[in-house]
Amino acid sequence: GRGLASLRVIDPAFISVFGMLSRSRSLICPFRVVRRYQLSRLHCVFSRRFTSDLFSPTEEHTSLRNSLRKWVKSDVEDQALLFNKEEKFNQSLFKKCAELGLLGITAEEKYGGSELDAVAAVIANEEISYSDPGFCLSYLAHSTLFVNNLSQNGSSAQKEKYLPSACSGDTIGGMCMSESETGTDALAMTMTAVREDESKGGNWILNGGKMWITNGCVSDDQPGDVFLVYARTGAKDQQRDAISQFIVESSFKGFSLGFKIKDKCGMRSSPTAGLVFDECIVPAENLVGEIGKAHRCMMQNLEIERLVLAAMSLGIARRCIDEMNQYATDRLSFGRPLRDHGQIQRHLSESYAEYMAARTYVYHAALHTDLNEPGHRLDTDGSKLVAGPMAKRVADRAMQVLGGNGYVGEFVVERLWRDSKLLEIGGGTNEALQMNITKELKSIEKLE
Amino acid sequence: MSLKVLVGCKRVIDYAVKIRVRPDKLGVVTEGVKHSMNPFDEIAVEEAIRLREAKKAKEVVVVSCGIAQAKETLRTALAMGADRAILVELSPKEYEIMTPAHVSKILAAVAKMEGSDLIILGKQAIDDDCNATAQMTAAHLDWPQATSASKVEVTDAGLTVTREVDGGLEVITTQLPAVVSADLRLNEPRYATLPNIMKAKKKKMTTLSLSDVGVELKEHQTVVSVEEPPVRSAGIKVKDVDSLIAALKQAGRI
Repeated sequence: GRGLASLRVIDPAFISVFGMLSRSRSLICPFRVVRRYQLSRLHCVFSRRFTSDLFSPTEEHTSLRNSLRKWVKSDVEDQALLFNKEEKFNQSLFKKCAELGLLGITAEEKYGGSELDAVAAVIANEEISYSDPGFCLSYLAHSTLFVNNLSQNGSSAQKEKYLPSACSGDTIGGMCMSESETGTDALAMTMTAVREDESKGGNWILNGGKMWITNGCVSDDQPGDVFLVYARTGAKDQQRDAISQFIVESSFKGFSLGFKIKDKCGMRSSPTAGLVFDECIVPAENLVGEIGKAHRCMMQNLEIERLVLAAMSLGIARRCIDEMNQYATDRLSFGRPLRDHGQIQRHLSESYAEYMAARTYVYHAALHTDLNEPGHRLDTDGSKLVAGPMAKRVADRAMQVLGGNGYVGEFVVERLWRDSKLLEIGGGTNEALQMNITKELKSIEKLE
Repeated sequence: MSLKVLVGCKRVIDYAVKIRVRPDKLGVVTEGVKHSMNPFDEIAVEEAIRLREAKKAKEVVVVSCGIAQAKETLRTALAMGADRAILVELSPKEYEIMTPAHVSKILAAVAKMEGSDLIILGKQAIDDDCNATAQMTAAHLDWPQATSASKVEVTDAGLTVTREVDGGLEVITTQLPAVVSADLRLNEPRYATLPNIMKAKKKKMTTLSLSDVGVELKEHQTVVSVEEPPVRSAGIKVKDVDSLIAALKQAGRI
């Protein structure tokens, strides 16, 4: 019989195409050819072991998705409404992510990561967002904005020092780029980093404030542990993009938690903060990469950041469609299920088609995104530009289909409706993406 | 006590899938349908791993009798923490006629080859609901059996097993080697974590044929037809107890 209601079911594990999937370091080629070559390597894999489809290209990905889906259903779903209501961050759930190997999903194995690809990161964020986009946002800030960035750009010593505890969940990290006066115009940031004399220690002194920092705090008064911070090392009248990147621990002198940002519309289970750097002393060895060259690190990490944010929109949309799909069968109106009515059919069908189109685009872009080098901005940004507004529309239709029930916390969609809006703003406003895509298009004479 | 444990896993249609009868009415649609490890077998794998973690067992070997795709199921078990996997591979035609009578012979042969001290199986598969393999395997090996186990303890004398029976709980003791079948409440299986999934790739998976285990698959039974359960017909509402009794009498129920 099938009376196994609350059983956890584990799914097929990975096979040894793992080597194929992990970031192929040997492929260093500046032209588009590299993507086709990588794809043909993957195609060899596909023709031998193509089990699923674009959304789970290998058994490994299928396994990850299946395991996550079950874990999310049993551990993430039930805590979501409460933590949203109380605007609290679920620290023990965060630790659970570490046990599952999710926190360092793209980081090198030798530092405690799982060394998987962009598609795996997209799968993880999509699956978690099905139940708690707020929690997922904190997971994303830690695993992509901090861990992945450091894994890509840090020196061995820096990675050795900071990655293991980040992958184990012993420290929680974030990334500081935006300020209260600069968001989309990131390169106009005003935080400065000035180097002391060697005689004084040669430390960097950071001055300024950062705003909208996910994991900036973990509670009302506790800051997060460690941040990648962007600051201006060039003079303001010099090159606009003379930005550098630093690793700042919250215990460094001069760092403080300005305030926890409260009363957010959505993503309420993700803690957001304003951080203050007042003559903040950062040791010289915490400079990441070269002075004044962090612009490149920033752009490269923004690619995967936008993909995983788009993935969050996919999870939100999928949940909303599942909810309205079921409701449209259960609920009767004028003697018939809602789904017999044309207006509801329109809500449901358009949501599904738009969701599948966005999903296809996001996974297609993820498949082609090499975490090791930039150059995919057109489609990572395009993915978020499509997925973000799509999820907002789908959530809105779901709320409309559910009617009064859709307006109430118990029925889930109102929380997802509020959460969905953030994805049009955070990690690249629609406007920022439009700007970038237009720039990329300028150098393309004719599309393929 | 350092037991060698053998655990049986079956690849079945996932419990959440809506089953559809094949057009030829001789089975259910399996093509393109999501499959996973039989939930009771997951419990069995979990129990074996716990025994190893408690240092009562030294090795957990998982075995499956099925088609090539059963390797996915075995990898799940490896990702949970089993040490080695064995697939006794059948062709799709052979798999169609496989029943517990055959599986038990195969498992008995593998247990002998492996020198196993303890076999843990799921109490039944969710596709055929036979609840027979563990019992038959014990018979072939002439080993004691402890079925529908909700608690298993390894003692100096052998096993103390709590069984879920119709009347409640029954506690029995057996010597080793023995066959145990896992019931629902024996434990809650762990999730395959990414680190374990990665470790699993390096673990050994052997494929054996029916001749390797010395078993011949003879068709014991023929499926005559497979049908959907009858559609539930609407009930009627009655206004009082007397009408209820009258209606029941009329339907021949009392």
